[in-house]
Amino acid sequence: MDVKLPNLGEGADSGTVVGVLVNVGDMVSEGQTILELENEKAIAPIPAPASGKVAKVLVKEGQKLSVGQVILTLEGDGVAAPKEPAPAPAAKPTAAPVVPVNTAPASIPVIPQGVPLYQPIETGLPPAAAPSIRKMARDLGIDLHRIRGSERGGRIVMKDLYDYIQYLQAIAFSPKPVAEAAPGVPAKPAPESIDFSKWGTVDSEPVTPLRRTIARRMVESWTTIPHVTQYDESDITDLMALRKKYKDDYAEKGANLTVTPFALKAVVKALQLHPVFNSSWDEVKEEIVHKQYYHIGLAVDTEAGLLVPVIRDVDKKSILELSLEIEELANKARERKLSLDEMKGGTFTISNQGGIGGGPFTPIINKPEVAILGMARGVNKPVVVGKEIKARLILPLSLSYDHRIIDGGTAARFITDLGKAFTEFTDEDVKLPKK
Amino acid sequence: MERIKTELVVVGGGPGGYAAAFYAADRGQKVILIEKDRNLGGVCLNRGCIPSKALLHATRMIEEARESVHRGITYPEPQIDLDKLRTWKSSVLEKLAGGVSQLAKARGVDVMHGRGYFEDSKTLRVETPEGQRFISYDHAIIAVGSKAALPSMFDLGNPRVMTSTGALEIDEIPASLLIIGGGYIGMELGTVYASLGSQVTVAEALPRVMTGADPDLTRPVLKYLKDHFKEIRTGAKVQSMATQGKQIKVVMEYNGQKLDELYDKVLVSIGRVPNCIDIGLENTKVQQDEKGFIKVNERQETSDPFIYAIGDVAGGIMLAHKASKEARVAVEVLTGEASSFENMLIPAVVYTDPEIAWCGLTEEEAKKKDIKIEVAKFPWAASGRALTYDRPDGLTKMIIDPETDRILGMGIVGHNAGELISEGVVAIEMGATARDLAESIHPHPTLSETIMECAEMYYGTSTHAIPRKKREES
Repeated sequence: MDVKLPNLGEGADSGTVVGVLVNVGDMVSEGQTILELENEKAIAPIPAPASGKVAKVLVKEGQKLSVGQVILTLEGDGVAAPKEPAPAPAAKPTAAPVVPVNTAPASIPVIPQGVPLYQPIETGLPPAAAPSIRKMARDLGIDLHRIRGSERGGRIVMKDLYDYIQYLQAIAFSPKPVAEAAPGVPAKPAPESIDFSKWGTVDSEPVTPLRRTIARRMVESWTTIPHVTQYDESDITDLMALRKKYKDDYAEKGANLTVTPFALKAVVKALQLHPVFNSSWDEVKEEIVHKQYYHIGLAVDTEAGLLVPVIRDVDKKSILELSLEIEELANKARERKLSLDEMKGGTFTISNQGGIGGGPFTPIINKPEVAILGMARGVNKPVVVGKEIKARLILPLSLSYDHRIIDGGTAARFITDLGKAFTEFTDEDVKLPKK
Repeated sequence: MERIKTELVVVGGGPGGYAAAFYAADRGQKVILIEKDRNLGGVCLNRGCIPSKALLHATRMIEEARESVHRGITYPEPQIDLDKLRTWKSSVLEKLAGGVSQLAKARGVDVMHGRGYFEDSKTLRVETPEGQRFISYDHAIIAVGSKAALPSMFDLGNPRVMTSTGALEIDEIPASLLIIGGGYIGMELGTVYASLGSQVTVAEALPRVMTGADPDLTRPVLKYLKDHFKEIRTGAKVQSMATQGKQIKVVMEYNGQKLDELYDKVLVSIGRVPNCIDIGLENTKVQQDEKGFIKVNERQETSDPFIYAIGDVAGGIMLAHKASKEARVAVEVLTGEASSFENMLIPAVVYTDPEIAWCGLTEEEAKKKDIKIEVAKFPWAASGRALTYDRPDGLTKMIIDPETDRILGMGIVGHNAGELISEGVVAIEMGATARDLAESIHPHPTLSETIMECAEMYYGTSTHAIPRKKREES
């Protein structure tokens, strides 16, 4: 059987082969990773859709693949070949159809970019379609030359016209690169390439797709969202004491108790008090979309670059569950094994640089979220407690927010409540249930 | 002077003009239709399609009777009463013209008889028998049609030199008739006169008569013409004509020789010219091409934003059904609908014996435009129905896109080809493939079966003929 590149989910129709993990003659079992594919978002492991012996490998490292392309062929009976093409872990279980023809998606179908579904067909002949269809196309202003008919001889029928309209709608609503997406913005001067070797020896390093994505998203966020950063500090001396007290219990469960799960919980508490921070700004409808769930993204520093896995339903999870999940996702991020789904749907992001060092910074909002919390390294500072000066561990917080929908006062109140939330953890929050 | 206000004025009551007026009225417009003649219907109804077909039918009977002899049925020689023939023909025209008038009345279309003249882009002056009328309108559609060309060198002021209009009057049966021009009008009228007993000679300047249709379609007709006409001269150039007694002296160059001959009558059928003169176009923004036809776009819009033009006067193929379709396009556009005369198929029928009909792409056109095609043919000698008509001299052919099997053109020569071609029109307009036609059951025994079998020929599986080759299904 031919093993083809499966649909990887939204916006991921192609990628570059990072590694081929099998050779000709290898026996593979269903679900075994056969290929690693890097695209804009992540490295996606591609599993074998069935068991069998590898007869041919048709791709190599560095090669660009698109959905549907044959990766390798398997010999033998193709045991347990699934009825549906096996989705990659990265794929949504109900991935939108690649080709909208002959499907009737209830929602807007996702159109993989770069797939020339509807190219103008140049035959030199008028489109094969009944006069009634041509009339309708003319009424709608649609050029039938761009539609490939599904009937015998390429005849265009009503369904093809409907599918094409849905396709156009899907394109209209799919995210565009920022450069195209901002009509009315004066055209930027074309980028220039500077010859730095004039001033000394240089090395050039081609950037990875991931880096390009990071760059694009940062620019988009920075140039489209008016950012304000609000600073504050929180006294986490007591919190660190709690952490120390329960660290070993957590270690027994295989969890490393850090400040991060507390930060997640503190953030959710503040979000519940100030729901606008858990919203998105719908620029088309000009509406604020409040989310009734708390999925918090964690910025993870990896060798390849910044990745943001999302921890879902933080409000419903215990400190222990969060600890385990944070570690799992951070590891996955460093190994570039995160699926696209694991990086989507966040409502707020935390960037914790405490483990690295440095003072407060101004994080950039992870669009379409509206705020992001930066955590710097906690430092011991002299603090007046009662009438005494005591050494307390002070955590610098920086909150960048979208000033279009969040006002300064709201931000100040949010960060105050957030800082307070860090100081209000008790044994009840941390201690593990008795066996 | 009283001004009449209307939403739409249509100038010309032919098959383009009255169709436009009726359609606009059906869509709620207040319409005035201007016709300079007594009867509505234009050239088509009064001096073209209808009278010529009436005469062709009547005289075809003469041939039928002659052909019947070898089938064991013999009639005496026909007695021809020209007055009675003319009366019958006129009764057909009167009936149809009356019908058109009634349809106008029923729709509330105001028919005004008289010559129309544009005073400016928004005003039409009409010279009616009751005096001048001035009409202000929102839109005007010019549908004034065309007339047979009669160059001054042929115009002797002698009724023995006729155009089609005169020929249709058949005031006598000339012993000898020269037809200048080998187009379809000349061939149809020549057929009528030959059946009535005239010795018909055709002089065509081009190397072929009846250009437009593929040569394999004209072949059976040429055979008929050769049998029934005295002579068909191609590459023949008439140099001068003069009245000589009760005859016309014609000098022509043919086959490198100068011929000096006498004919009882001459029919000049060398084309048609638009009726654009003296209708005040110069007072509007309407522009004309170098041949005098009004320039329009595919929405039938002229260069004047208030004026549309349709039919013969707008150039292109001069056929009634093309005018009627353009009428609909113009009315739809002026009432704000997205409409256009793009990619429209205009079928053509030549009422010779046998008839030739075609639509869509022709083989010659494909060659000229370098379009890759395949041609499937079904000879009528293999059609049971054609043999029962004693008319095996037919051919059905299809021009097919070999990539998609889509039918791009159809051509038929044979008995009743004109009635058969509409299937091709529908098939092509619907984007049908040869397979679609091959798989649709056609009733037996009919001539329409030849269309199905022609499609089968393309796939190499025709029941009643041996295909030359088998084709890989695409």
